[in-house]
Amino acid sequence: MVKTNVPQIVAIQIHNLTRRFGELTAVNGLSLEIYRNEIFGLLGPNGAGKTTTINMICGLLPVSEGKITFPGNVRKDRRSFIGYCPQENIYYPKLTCLEQLLFMGQMYDQPFQLLKKRAFKLLHLLGLDDKTNVMAGNLSGGMKRRLNICLALIHDPEIVILDEPEAGLDPQSRMLVRDYIRSCKKEKTVILTTHNMDEADRITDRLAIIDHGKLLLLDTPQNLKKTMGEGDILEMLTEDVSESVLNDFIEKMKLFPIQLTRNGNILLFTHTDMINRVVEIKKLAEESGLKIEELKFRENTLEDVFIHLTGRSLRQ
Amino acid sequence: MKFVSIITKSFKEQIRNYWVLLLTLSMGPFFLFIYDLMTESSPQQYKICVVNTDRGITVEDSFVNYGSDFQFFFKQKGNSMAAVTFSVCTAAGKEQGIEMVRNNKADILIIIDRLFSQTIEKKLANDHTNLPQVEFIGDLTSQKYLISAVWINEMINEYISKVTGSKRVVEVKETPLGESGAIGEFDLLVPGILIISLIMLMFTASIAFVSEVENKTIIRLKLSKLPPLAYFGGISVVQLLIGVLAVLLTLFTAILLGFGYSGSLPVMVLVAVLTSMSMIAFSLVVAAITKSANEVLVVGCFPMFLFMFFSGAAFPMHSNTLFTIAGYPITFQGLMSPSHAISALNKTLIMNMKVSDIMPEIISIIVLSIIYFGVGALIFKRRHLRTL
Repeated sequence: MVKTNVPQIVAIQIHNLTRRFGELTAVNGLSLEIYRNEIFGLLGPNGAGKTTTINMICGLLPVSEGKITFPGNVRKDRRSFIGYCPQENIYYPKLTCLEQLLFMGQMYDQPFQLLKKRAFKLLHLLGLDDKTNVMAGNLSGGMKRRLNICLALIHDPEIVILDEPEAGLDPQSRMLVRDYIRSCKKEKTVILTTHNMDEADRITDRLAIIDHGKLLLLDTPQNLKKTMGEGDILEMLTEDVSESVLNDFIEKMKLFPIQLTRNGNILLFTHTDMINRVVEIKKLAEESGLKIEELKFRENTLEDVFIHLTGRSLRQ
Repeated sequence: MKFVSIITKSFKEQIRNYWVLLLTLSMGPFFLFIYDLMTESSPQQYKICVVNTDRGITVEDSFVNYGSDFQFFFKQKGNSMAAVTFSVCTAAGKEQGIEMVRNNKADILIIIDRLFSQTIEKKLANDHTNLPQVEFIGDLTSQKYLISAVWINEMINEYISKVTGSKRVVEVKETPLGESGAIGEFDLLVPGILIISLIMLMFTASIAFVSEVENKTIIRLKLSKLPPLAYFGGISVVQLLIGVLAVLLTLFTAILLGFGYSGSLPVMVLVAVLTSMSMIAFSLVVAAITKSANEVLVVGCFPMFLFMFFSGAAFPMHSNTLFTIAGYPITFQGLMSPSHAISALNKTLIMNMKVSDIMPEIISIIVLSIIYFGVGALIFKRRHLRTL
């Protein structure tokens, strides 16, 4: 189990979680703790096991092995304190925004007057005030996504699980949703899955990178980026050349104390004093017959971390 | 509370999906219009075509033609019968008569033999070597032919007894039950069409159940603590209202088109409510094995055709008795609740029977509804509503 230094109250404890679908192991021995009032991110490419993990936390899927516990919660039925916003927009097309929020709230035995207030508040916070009495089927994609988040929150759950909450949102809507998720942190534990590294970097307190159902790394986004090493990154975009040329260059680079990661025809060099190494690297590349298309400096990103961990881009 | 919320939500969705609702409600009345255009709404009449080839005979200087005399007797007798109405026409020859039967202008052709008078005269002179000959020609699979033949046979015997003075062995008397003697072909079809309007409910109900699965909103319902029974019950109540509305609209249309029912309206509504419940329960089975409205439309056609054509809704059906329970025959078609509903409506609306007389049908519908519901709920829960 990955541990952090900050003492926190555990909201969800996952131990050796495994889920198999026939021959396929979607989640493989996942162990982690999610703390109360944190925004926890599950980062991974498509098919990494994020949604399967979420479905097991919600109780929609039985676990094959392992255990999920909610130590801070005395209530037995997890359904009452979990709010789930699935990846797909799930709504009643023939009901208005308000009607479906009230309906879903009633399904959770919420008092009607309180429900009405909460529904209006949620619609306001997520920028759907003027769509209160519009049928959901007539909303735009971004609005449907925001309604989907409202539906997950209508019963005021303690744990909110958002599966790809920013998928399909325009920049304005994305900011609105991001602000709202941040505001939720005061009262709730938020788990979000994403393969959008910018989203993960900006709003999560801690982030678990998973792939092939396994936990690769778990820490704050800042600490995760540090795993790539201190200093700057030199990103070299090469022209299409033969594998032998590239491999020859990589072999030569091993003689230098510079960390090198390859992602297709992009080479990433990390070093504390990168600026003074550029000329050296460029010369070696030319000697190896490598044609450089673009050369740029930048800071570490979560994508670098992922490529470093898995050897492939998240978008693949 | 949840039950009421499901009813309200389901009601709103059904009203807003007005095309499906409109089609379901208009199906019964539409069928009635079609049937009304195709059938006669007047009381059942049997069309008899007579070809008299009797040469006649001269007895004591006067010419007698018993064939013509029989035709006259037949017309008089036919008019005086309460239960069965005959219309008699004549044809010039056998060929013309057969053509009339083929063109449905007559249900039966009677050919009076050329020696008809001669044989009757011989019979009067105690010469029984030859019997008066009458030939019946018609479609032996036709119900109208069979009924006509029975009655014409009876009248021929009566006529021969009258003219020969011989004693009749038996006299047949017919008493129609309820309104059955006075109703037309259209009236006979109405109970079946009332049930067809309820069979169509299978589609709206299945779509209502499966729409949550198709929209994946079932995930939200699974995550809330909604008991499956509240879900099934809430949707069923709305569908039940649609069912009763559909059957009343169909009955109202039937009355406008001249249907005269003699039984009790409350009993008819009771049968309609029970049949609606049974159709809704069956819809749950259809919804349980499908995942979308499109699948419902494909899969649902199979039971719909079974119910329509093999339960007796579209036309009368006969089935072998598998076994009997307290004297009530259980047939293959008895496994389909509409067959019991049609039987109950026939007894109520046409034969003017009481609730107590249709108890076996009522019990059968209830038992089948429970079985359908049990199977449907079990599969639906396992396939679509399973949570930890």
